[in-house]
Amino acid sequence: MRRRASLVLLAFAVFFAAMSPLLRWYAFPRLAKIPPSQYQETVLEAKPATLLDYNDNMKVKTVPKVTIVQTLKGNVEESEKIERSAGRDVVVWDALSFVAGPDGKMVSQIPERYIFDAHSQAPVHATGESVDGDPVRREGIEFKWPFLTEKRDYEYFDAQTRTSSPIHYKGNRTFHGMDVYYFEQTIPWTKVPMPKKMPIQGVTTEQIAKTGMTRWYTTKRMFWIDPVTGAPVNGEEIHKEELRNAKKMGMPQDTMTVFAGHVKMRPDYVESIVDLVKSQRLLVLLLTSYLPWGFVVLGAGLLALALWLEARSRRPDGELPDGAPATAPDPEPTPA
Amino acid sequence: MRALVAAAIGLAAALALVFTITTIGAPPGETSPKPLLTTVPGPKNQ
Repeated sequence: MRRRASLVLLAFAVFFAAMSPLLRWYAFPRLAKIPPSQYQETVLEAKPATLLDYNDNMKVKTVPKVTIVQTLKGNVEESEKIERSAGRDVVVWDALSFVAGPDGKMVSQIPERYIFDAHSQAPVHATGESVDGDPVRREGIEFKWPFLTEKRDYEYFDAQTRTSSPIHYKGNRTFHGMDVYYFEQTIPWTKVPMPKKMPIQGVTTEQIAKTGMTRWYTTKRMFWIDPVTGAPVNGEEIHKEELRNAKKMGMPQDTMTVFAGHVKMRPDYVESIVDLVKSQRLLVLLLTSYLPWGFVVLGAGLLALALWLEARSRRPDGELPDGAPATAPDPEPTPA
Repeated sequence: MRALVAAAIGLAAALALVFTITTIGAPPGETSPKPLLTTVPGPKNQ
């Protein structure tokens, strides 16, 4: 009986010992992925901000608040189409950055289509990848870092300039009780395309381009990243946009500030994202740490128990192993 | 010999379980019917 029990325990010990590396290095890379149907909205605010008022004689004003509403919507049908040709799990995010003035009216809006590998977050190049209707070819990451983020610089795609450049790891920080990695990227003054949707009635991007007026932009981008999930738990930007050669459009000055402000996530969205990330973080840690280590300990314990039972079953004074023939006791010695 | 068989059963069970879980994976779900926002949403419900 003891021998049978020790064999069962041995089978379980091997099961758990095998599960540990299989979970960490086989299952985790295949199971950890961004769901293709994800929908997420984020609200950021610049309080106060400098804003060009197109509808009040092109005056540059200080306004109490400019709001940026960023929506990410997973397009499941498109991701399935691309998966068939790419042969891997793909996520297609249709994104919109909608900028609203203090009155809630549109200042600008930039749609994007971001296509990436669901596991690694590496960009996938397919038809439809775009920013504001212009085809782009992204390098590096955007919006989210890979699972198990490393302490190193990453290439980060900037939607305004349509280029990628390094976003630098600047150290660890504590944010809402979480240990996070802090990243920073500075985009120097760069000429960028006019948004296709402008807040001026009857003026198109082409008409503006013909006048010779240009739009320039600089930003310092900051992200606080949960290294387990790779999800940003906070983001800020010190953002400036200018129109140059603006007199050609009949503006009072040659260089006009379109928007300037320190953009921060609205506190209710910070709370909501921190809660979401904490729940997802637990799932990732289960696969990468808690279960693999737990299984190692359990496997070792079961193996020790199996060996102990086996050893006891072989002791001469112990219970006989199952099926062992009973032997007669040695006869008493008789005097010669 | 019995120990080897027991170990092989344990290993096979682990492989079968992990391969099954990773093959099934998670369902893709459906595209959200919610729109890309062009208004500022109110306070986020916790």
